[in-house]
Amino acid sequence: MPVIEVKKITKTYTETVVPVHALNGINLTFERGEFTAIVGPSGCGKTTLLNMMGGLDKPTSGEVIIEGTDITRMPAGKLVDFRLHNIGFVFQSYNLIPVLTVEENVEFIMELQHRSKNETHNRVTQLMEAMGLPDKLAVKPKYLSGGQQQRVAVARALASKPKFILADEPTANLDSVSTSALLDLMANLNEKENTTFIFSTHDQRVVDKAKRVITLEDGKVIGDSNLISKQ
Amino acid sequence: MAFMNGMTQQQIYSAIHTETGHIQINAKGFLLNYDILHLIPNADSIEGVIEKNDEVAAVSPRIQMTAMASTAGTSTGVMINAVDVKKQKAVSDLYQSVVRGTYFGDEKTNSIVIGQQLADKLHVNVHSRIVMTLQTVEGDITYAAFTVVGIFRTHNSDFDKQQVFVQKKDLQQLINFPPHAASLITILLKKTEDTKKLKEKFESEFPSLQVQGWEKLSPMIQVMSSTVDQMALIFVGIILIALAFGIINTMLMAVLDRTREIGMLLCIGMKPSKVFRMVMLETVFMSLTGAACGLLLSIGTIKYFHHSGIDLSKLGEGANALGYSTMVYPALGLGFYVELVILVIVIAMIGGLFPALRAIRMNPAEAVRGE
Repeated sequence: MPVIEVKKITKTYTETVVPVHALNGINLTFERGEFTAIVGPSGCGKTTLLNMMGGLDKPTSGEVIIEGTDITRMPAGKLVDFRLHNIGFVFQSYNLIPVLTVEENVEFIMELQHRSKNETHNRVTQLMEAMGLPDKLAVKPKYLSGGQQQRVAVARALASKPKFILADEPTANLDSVSTSALLDLMANLNEKENTTFIFSTHDQRVVDKAKRVITLEDGKVIGDSNLISKQ
Repeated sequence: MAFMNGMTQQQIYSAIHTETGHIQINAKGFLLNYDILHLIPNADSIEGVIEKNDEVAAVSPRIQMTAMASTAGTSTGVMINAVDVKKQKAVSDLYQSVVRGTYFGDEKTNSIVIGQQLADKLHVNVHSRIVMTLQTVEGDITYAAFTVVGIFRTHNSDFDKQQVFVQKKDLQQLINFPPHAASLITILLKKTEDTKKLKEKFESEFPSLQVQGWEKLSPMIQVMSSTVDQMALIFVGIILIALAFGIINTMLMAVLDRTREIGMLLCIGMKPSKVFRMVMLETVFMSLTGAACGLLLSIGTIKYFHHSGIDLSKLGEGANALGYSTMVYPALGLGFYVELVILVIVIAMIGGLFPALRAIRMNPAEAVRGE
């Protein structure tokens, strides 16, 4: 069963005088273990598509099915819970909570899931080792570099053991060294643990690392390396 | 608040301990025109009955009548209070307000103690003589010269202008007043809170007499006290409304400042109800912290000024005309602080509602991008 199925998704914004068709009948399928980059010019609908897949926004029409569950028809309260247990997010601006330490930032999501203290502590330690930051647990985000903060954000996204991780331009605020380090880390996790990553990006380095590249333009899929390789 | 409360409390204390006592008993109709014939014939025995009550601190019967006080150049109407000096000292602090001379003491015949304002009006001083024109119980007019032995100054300039004090034995002799009788009996209680209870008791014990509490005897003070209470209520209300807006403003800023953070929390799966509770708790804690700091500052300031007093002597005459002392000792009861803390919490919760609702109504996707 695919991890994510996007079926004839459209999204139209009617707040402006002229309606904006952000997504125009997109059909996509994502399997477990994918390392996919969604690319396209600004305003092509990358972030809107990610928001649909993450349950952060509802499509005007169409469905988003995550491992058999249609999240487009889910009530708001259940959707919040679904996101907590099934979807991980990595944001462009890291969005770590500045008053919490690294450890507290990562374990926060597990506390929302009501996991035990023991399980939480073990998972945090394991993740921070994987991120290469085992000695930064007691440090606050402001004392970390951009690359380190983004790695902590990745750890937070992985902490909840999600079915997949959505990363919206995760390397946009990073220098080249940090970008490489982050991408290597994510690729490693993808290889070793079969973690599914879906990026929206402008960054060629991400595209180069990705196993699959989906190109959007004007809310439509105009290119999918998966289809090309199958052909 | 403490300042206004202190002024009112002092005014009440002053009125009770200088002028009226807690309870006053007189013949029915006496207070209408201060007719000397409206007397309590068995005042001494009534005094004995009253003294048996544990709540009573002191009792003092006296003769009270209107008279004319004259000197060579001026004359004015006054109210003579003929007192048993020892008993009167027990119910009234007036003797502590003597600024010149003494409050009786050496049993001189026809000695008189008058107020500063009256002394100024009559241009007299200690050892001066005043001629009092009085009416006897038979209705005849009589005259007597009194020697000023003491001049007092209270917080009430009207009182100082009108009230004079002589010894009971002197007036009794002059106007042929019955020996065991009195015009009125002043009662001082150990606790002001017992006024209503004792008043009702004496009303039932002495149904032929008029029994009144200090609130009735000093209606002006009662009116001013309730006016001050109402003003305080309005004052506090205005401050609480301002507090509410202040809280709304501060918390709204806090929420908007953390749009990205809140957006992230909503994205990763924090329930909106938890975000709501988080904002409300922050509001309440912030308000309680502010309240605690404010309380400490307020208690410290009030305590300091309660001991040292605030000198308003520059407002002197104006304050005295209303019966207020020029030295104010601010005071606030514990009950007020407790009510205020509760109100602050309630206002904080009401004020925090709007920012909390704003927080949970954010679009997580837009918020996380800082939009």
